[in-house]
Amino acid sequence: MAEGSGSDVVSEFLTQNPHLAQWVDSLKDDSEPNKQWYARREFVLRNMEVFPTIQPGRQTPSLDRLISLSKVWSNHVFLGCRYPQPVMDKVKEMAEGITVNEAPVRKTRDEILGKGKRPSTSGIGSESLAKKSKTGHNDTDSKAGERNTTHPIAVTIKSGPSAGAPAEHQPFFNRLYKAVAWKLVPAGGFGPNLDHFEILRACVESCKASLTCVFVPLKDIPDLPAGCAQKEGQVCELRCHTVYMGTGYGRDECAARAMASKEALKIFQGRKVTVKVSRRRFRGQDVEDLVLLDDQPRSSILPPALSYPFQANQ
Amino acid sequence: MGVPAFFRWLSRKYPSIIVHCVEEKSKECNGVRIPVDTSKPNPNEVEFDNLYLDMNGIIHPCTHPEDKPAPKNEDEMMVAIFEYIDRLFNIIRPRRVLYMAIDGVAPRAKMNQQRSRRFRASKEGMELTEEKHRMREEVLQRGGYLPPEEIKERFDSNCITPGTEFMDNLAKCLRYYIADRLTNDPGWRTLSVFLSDASVPGEGEHKIMDFIRRQRAQPNHDPNTHHCLCGADADLIMLGLATHEPNFTIIREEFKPNKPKPCALCGQMGHEIKDCQGVAREKRGEHDEFADTVPVSEQEFIFIRLCVLREYLQRELTMASLPFPFNFERSVDDWVFMCFFVGNDFLPHLPSLEIREGAIDRLVSIYKDVVHRTGGYLTENGFVNLERVELIMQAVGVAEDNIFKKRKEDEENFKRRMKEKKKRLKTEQAPAFLPGGQFAPQALGGRDRPMAVQNARQTAFDMRMQGSRYQQNKNAAESLKAMLRNGSKDGAGCSDGVDRLGVKRKAEDSDSEPEPEDNVRLWEEGWKQRYYKTKFDVDETDDDFRKKVVKSYVEGLCWVLRYYYQGCASWKWYFPFHYAPFASDFKDIKDMFMEFEKGTKPFSPLEQLMGVFPAASGNFLPPTWRALMTDPDSSIIDFYPDDFAIDLNGKKYAWQGVALLPFVDERRLRASLEKVYPDLTSEEVRRNSLGSDVVFVSKSHPLCDFIQELYRSESHEGTQIPPELCHGTQGILYLDQEPILPDEPVESPVPMLRDIPSSRAVGIKFKDPQYEEGHVFKAVILPGAKIPSKVLKPGDWEKSSSGPWRPQLGFNPNRHQVHLDQSAFRALGHHVNSHQQGSGQHAHGPPHAGRHGGGQYSSAPPPSSYHQGNYRPPLRDHPPPFQHSRLQGFQRAPPTPQLQQYLRPQHGAQGWERAIQAQGSAYQQNLQRGRGGPGNYQQHPPPRRDDRGPHEGYSSARNYGLPPPARRYNWS
Repeated sequence: MAEGSGSDVVSEFLTQNPHLAQWVDSLKDDSEPNKQWYARREFVLRNMEVFPTIQPGRQTPSLDRLISLSKVWSNHVFLGCRYPQPVMDKVKEMAEGITVNEAPVRKTRDEILGKGKRPSTSGIGSESLAKKSKTGHNDTDSKAGERNTTHPIAVTIKSGPSAGAPAEHQPFFNRLYKAVAWKLVPAGGFGPNLDHFEILRACVESCKASLTCVFVPLKDIPDLPAGCAQKEGQVCELRCHTVYMGTGYGRDECAARAMASKEALKIFQGRKVTVKVSRRRFRGQDVEDLVLLDDQPRSSILPPALSYPFQANQ
Repeated sequence: MGVPAFFRWLSRKYPSIIVHCVEEKSKECNGVRIPVDTSKPNPNEVEFDNLYLDMNGIIHPCTHPEDKPAPKNEDEMMVAIFEYIDRLFNIIRPRRVLYMAIDGVAPRAKMNQQRSRRFRASKEGMELTEEKHRMREEVLQRGGYLPPEEIKERFDSNCITPGTEFMDNLAKCLRYYIADRLTNDPGWRTLSVFLSDASVPGEGEHKIMDFIRRQRAQPNHDPNTHHCLCGADADLIMLGLATHEPNFTIIREEFKPNKPKPCALCGQMGHEIKDCQGVAREKRGEHDEFADTVPVSEQEFIFIRLCVLREYLQRELTMASLPFPFNFERSVDDWVFMCFFVGNDFLPHLPSLEIREGAIDRLVSIYKDVVHRTGGYLTENGFVNLERVELIMQAVGVAEDNIFKKRKEDEENFKRRMKEKKKRLKTEQAPAFLPGGQFAPQALGGRDRPMAVQNARQTAFDMRMQGSRYQQNKNAAESLKAMLRNGSKDGAGCSDGVDRLGVKRKAEDSDSEPEPEDNVRLWEEGWKQRYYKTKFDVDETDDDFRKKVVKSYVEGLCWVLRYYYQGCASWKWYFPFHYAPFASDFKDIKDMFMEFEKGTKPFSPLEQLMGVFPAASGNFLPPTWRALMTDPDSSIIDFYPDDFAIDLNGKKYAWQGVALLPFVDERRLRASLEKVYPDLTSEEVRRNSLGSDVVFVSKSHPLCDFIQELYRSESHEGTQIPPELCHGTQGILYLDQEPILPDEPVESPVPMLRDIPSSRAVGIKFKDPQYEEGHVFKAVILPGAKIPSKVLKPGDWEKSSSGPWRPQLGFNPNRHQVHLDQSAFRALGHHVNSHQQGSGQHAHGPPHAGRHGGGQYSSAPPPSSYHQGNYRPPLRDHPPPFQHSRLQGFQRAPPTPQLQQYLRPQHGAQGWERAIQAQGSAYQQNLQRGRGGPGNYQQHPPPRRDDRGPHEGYSSARNYGLPPPARRYNWS
C-alpha cells in the first residue's frame, strides 16, 4: 500500500511532537490490545485538528467527542458493532487513510439471524482497512464502484462543470489534504528536496484515485504570455477527478511533471483546500474549469488549461 | 449463573435435595372464592420463619409470561404480581419475616451482562413485533381469521430496570399490597415485612444476603431461623450455602423444558407464529367453558433443601488423612468458589470448564488431589488464597489439552449418531399401526395420569383399523402418483420438475445445516495462540496482555467470592474483556491481587439506565438524556451501537453466543451527563435518588406501638429496634416522609383494587445493622444452631438390623403414613366397580347399540366396549369415524359434574353441597398436583373427616387404578 504502515507514520509523528506522545497514551484503555490502540491512536491524532479546542492534557467535551468517535470506529472495525448511518458516515470520513491489517471478521447479530440486508464486509471496513495487507485491491474495487456513480455526472455535463461539482469533489480533496499532511510527516515537511510527484501520487492513490497528467510541448500552447522567451521543453498539467491541481514546465516530461507536482503540493500547505469553479483560458477561449485552491487569497492568474475534461469531444 | 444447566446438573446428581411443594388451593363456594387461611399450619409439614422474595424472578414471568397471553396493561401486571406473591405466601407461610427485594442499581461488574441482555431483548422485541405484523398481513390475505389486534403498546421488558417509571410505580403498588395484606390477611399478623425496592442499590438476592449476613452477625439472631428464599437463579444455591445457616430452603418454579407456548398472533396453542394459519379457535369443552384455561398444567413449585445438599456435599468432600484438620464448612466455601469457575454473572467461564461436561466433578476431584499439597483451604470468609488457587488452576491446565480434544471427539460422535439416526428414520417404513387411544404416548407431568388399561382388544382393533386405512391411503396415493408420472413421461417439463426435486433433496441430504466456522479449533495444536489471536486480537508474543487478562480474571474471582460472603467490595470493578483466559495461564497469580478500591459508590439509577440501555429503549429516559444515545455529536455515542457482533463461540444459537458490546467508560458517561442533569424534572430527580428499605408491621405486631411512638415523637435520628420486639431482628429505624399509618386510609394505585379505608399497618424506613469498616462476616455455623437430622440413607445402613430403608419424602422425617387395610380395599374395589357399571348408562356398547343407526356400525368393534368415564384426550384425539358425537361431548365434559353424578347414589340430600365441594377440590388438587396427595386429608378440618373417608379413597383410586388388595397402599 502506498500509505505504508500507519504506525510508522504515527511513531514518526510522535517523535516530532514529543509533547503529544505522553498525552495520547493516556487515552489508551487498560484492556485495549496494542494493535487496536495503535489504530485508534492514529485516528485520534489524524483528527485532532478538526477539534481545535482540544488541549493535550485537559479533559474537555470536545476531546470526549473525539474519543467517542474513535471508539465508534474501533468498535466497528474490531468488535463488529454497527451504528446509526450518520455516525457511520462521519467516522468513515475521519478514518480515511488509516490502514488496519488483519482486522477480525465478525458477524453481527442481524447477519447471524439471516437478516442480511447488509453486505458481509461492512461499510467502513471495506473502505479503510485491508483485510490482509496485500489484498487491498478488493477495497479499491468497491471504492471504484462508488466513484462510478459520481464520475459520469461530471462527464455528461458537456459544456462545463456542473454547479454542484465543487461540493461533490470537496470531501475527496479533504481526505487528500489529510493524506498529504500525513505523508509529509515522515518526509520532514514540505521542502525543495523531495520527490514531489512520488509523494503526490502516493497520496492520491492512498485515497483510491489516480492522477491525470497531460503533457503539451511548450510551443504548442496558444495562450502563452507575451514575455515568455522559452520555446523548447514540456508543460505538464495535473488533474485528479477532473479538478485541476497544478501546471509545471521542464526540459522533459519528467521535470515538467515534478514541477507541476510541487506546485500542486504547495496548495496543500495552507490550512485547507477548496474546489472552486474558476474562469481560465483554454485553446484560446475562456472556459469554466474546476480548480483546487488553498485558503490564501491570491490574485494570481491561472495558467491556461492544457486539457478540458468537461467538453463534449473529450 | 442464570443458565439452567447448573441447576439441572445439581438436581440430577443430588436428587434428594428436591421436595415438591404441597399447595392448598383456595376453594370456591357458590361463586365466592374462600381465601386460604395461611395462619394455619403449613401443609408441607414444616414451618418457615423467614421468606425472602427475589422479586425480579416474579416480575418477569408476571409481566411477560411465556406460556400464557400477556397481561393487557400495567394494572393487570400488578395484580398478577400480587397473586403470584399470594400463591408463594400460601405455600411457605412465613411466621416472622417477609423480605421483598427488587433489583436496585447493580455493581459495575454486572453491567456488562445487563447490557448484553437488554441490547438483545430490545432487538428481539422489535423483531417479534415485525414478524407479527408480517404474518398478520399474510394470514389475513389468505383469508384466515385472527383476533383483532389489541391496541396495546408493546411491553418493553427493559423497563424492569431500576430508575424507570414502571419500577417506581411497582414500588408504590407493593406498598399498597403490603398494607392491604397486613390489614386483611390473618397469616400476615405476626409478620414484619421488609420492602427493598429498586431505589435501594444492589441486586435483589444480594440485598437479601446482606440482610441475612448482618442479622446473623448480631447477638440476638436466632441461629435456628428457618430461611426460605424464592428465586430461580442457580446462584441462589451458592448464596444459601454461603450463609452457613443450617436451615435454608430455596423455592422455585419447577423447570419444565419444551413447554408449549401460545402463538403470539392468534393466542392458540400448538403452533408457532410462523406456522399460524389463522384458523378459527377450537371450542374447548362443550360450551367453551375452558376457553381461557391453558392446556398445560399450572406452573408448580419445588423446594430445594440446602441442608440435604450439605449432606451430599459432606459425603463428597470429606477427606481423610489430611495434613490439617478437616472442616466441612470451609470445604463448602471452597466448593462454592470452584463453581464460579464454571460460570457466574460477572465473569465468562473458563473455556475448558463446561458444566455439561462434568466440570464441577472434575474440579472436585482435582481439589481433593491437590488439597494435600496446598496445606489448607482455598478460601476463608470470602477471601481467596491465591497461592492455593494457582495449584488448582495448574492442575486443570494440565488436562486442558485433553478436554478440548475430547470435546471435539464427543461432538463428532454426536453428529455422526444424529446423522445415522436420520438416515435410519428415513429408510424405515412407517409402523404398521400407531399406538393410539389409551396406548398413545403421553407427555409427562400433564394433567392426565396413566390409568388402568381398559379393554385392550378394542383399542388394538382401532389402531389396526387406522393403520390399515392409512396404508391403503398411502398405496392409493402411490399408484396415483405413478400413473401421473407415466402419463406425462413425454412432457419435458415434468421430468425437469422431477429432476429438480431430486437435486433439491440431495442438497438437503448432504448437510443439514452449515456449521459456523470455528477459527480457534481448540482441539488442534496451537489452540492457545489461535484463541488469543481470534478472541483478543493479540499476538502470541504479547505476554503482557495475556497477563493482564489473567490478572483481571483473578481480581474477578476475588471480587465475586467477596460479593457472596461479605457484600460488594467495589462498585466500580468489572472484568473488561469478553472472554476468559485458559486455566493454564494462571501462573504467578499470588501477587496479582491486593485490595479493591475503597469507598466506591454505585451509579445513580438514571446513570445506570444510560449504561445498560440500547438507544431503542431511550424512551425510558428524559429527552435530553435520550439524545446522548443517538446524536452523532454526543460524546458517548460509542456506547450505543445499533447492531453488534455475536461470537457463537462454539455454540449453535445466537442467544448462546457472546455479544461483543463495547464497555462503558464511566468517566466519560458521568462527564457527558453533567450537562443534562439540570434538565431533570423534580419527579425524575426523586426517581434518580437512592432510597431506603422500609419495614411494615401490622397493628397486632409488638413493634407497632414502638413505631407509632417514634412517629409521635418525630425524632429524626435513627433508632435501634429493640430486638425482643421482633424475633431478634435488629436494625435502625428512620421516619418515613409519607408513611403508611394505622387507622388511616391507603389509596389504591391500581384502579381494579379497592382503597383500604382504614389500614392496620404501619411502615417505617429501615437500615440494616451497621458494622465498623473492615468487619469480616464469619462464614461459620453459629453456636447454638441445631443441624437438621439426616435425610440421606446412611452409607452403613444394614437392612437386617433396622429393616428396609425408607426414604424421606418431604420435610417431615416422622411423617405419619396412612395405610388402608384389606377391608378398606374391598370397600374401595366395590365402590369403583359399581361406578364403572353405573356409568354404563352412557355407553354406546352393545346394551344400547339399538339407539344408534346400525349402518354406522359396519365395522363393529368387539363387544363390551366402554369408553365411559374416560375423558382423557387421547381417545378423543383420534375418534373413529363411527363414534357418536354425544359421546365426544361427554368425554370433554369437566370432571366435577361427573363426580357429582357418581356420588349421588351414596349421599342423601343432607350435606350434599359440602361433600361435593370437598370432593371436587380434592379431586382437582390431585389433578393439578400430578401426584398422590399427602396433603389431601390434612387440608380439611378434622371434624369432617369421617364422612369423607371412602370418597376420598375413591377419587384417588380412580386415578391410580385398582391397587392389588394385598399391597400396602401408600398415600404419598
